[in-house]
Amino acid sequence: MHQADLGGAGPPSLWDIVVRVSHWGIAIVVLANEAMTRGGSAAHVWFGWAGLGLLGLRMVWGLVGSPAARFSAFPPNPRQAMTHLRDVLAGRPMAHASHNPAGALMVYALWMSLAVLIGTGIAMSGPDPFAVADREAVVNSNDWSGLDTETGEGGGGKMVKTVHETMANLLLLLISLHLAGVVVEGVAMRRNLVTPMLFGGGRSDK
Amino acid sequence: MKRSVMLSLALILAPLAAMAMPVVGDNVGTGADTVKAALEKAGCVVSSLESEGGKVEAICTETATSKAWDVSVDPTSGLIVAIKASED
Repeated sequence: MHQADLGGAGPPSLWDIVVRVSHWGIAIVVLANEAMTRGGSAAHVWFGWAGLGLLGLRMVWGLVGSPAARFSAFPPNPRQAMTHLRDVLAGRPMAHASHNPAGALMVYALWMSLAVLIGTGIAMSGPDPFAVADREAVVNSNDWSGLDTETGEGGGGKMVKTVHETMANLLLLLISLHLAGVVVEGVAMRRNLVTPMLFGGGRSDK
Repeated sequence: MKRSVMLSLALILAPLAAMAMPVVGDNVGTGADTVKAALEKAGCVVSSLESEGGKVEAICTETATSKAWDVSVDPTSGLIVAIKASED
């Protein structure tokens, strides 16, 4: 594992394994639930719980993980983020040991919207992910008598559903900006920002 | 003349078209197969059934218009309690 020395100027040439697994794991979860699963289905709910596990892992890693992965290495700072964006556009960006300030803001925005998305999802589906498959089985059977008793289904009403759907759309917007940022900064800095999140082999500032 | 005939036909067929879809209060049964059959007979082909808020939501497509509807059914009585345009 290669990690940047936080005392130096360079970002990681390869993010640690927990950062990479949580990053791509969450990407898969979001892709699956946005494009492949039906809202409220057992698969949708299980992907959501997987997302919660990955997000939780990353949060813990942000406290006790490798130096570049810790929250303290990339505090949210809108002023520095704006300065960084101006520097990128001017073609003279500073190197950062972890996420650059603009990337850091994006990371926190993505995590927060993902947390709200998962929280509202659990509020609607209930605290027991196994019960969702049971309810599906009853609904698709010819005897719905099991549904008039306690089914473990969550609630929350229309407002929770609206927040959930709004967060899903917001997350897509943020991901689009994130991808655009990777491309723009990669071109401006002549750096491959993807390989450090995969197998290494380049220098990254994101 | 042609216009009058078309208008007359439209007026005659309008009530039939309105009757094609199920309405709130219809009893469609309390099981997957009976509900699917009842809704299909009423002109709406069910693609999936979901549990939502203690009710069963049948997502169906109106054969006449290809429009998707969420038909909410009380699982105890079998009565349709709500019909709305599908958001899925």
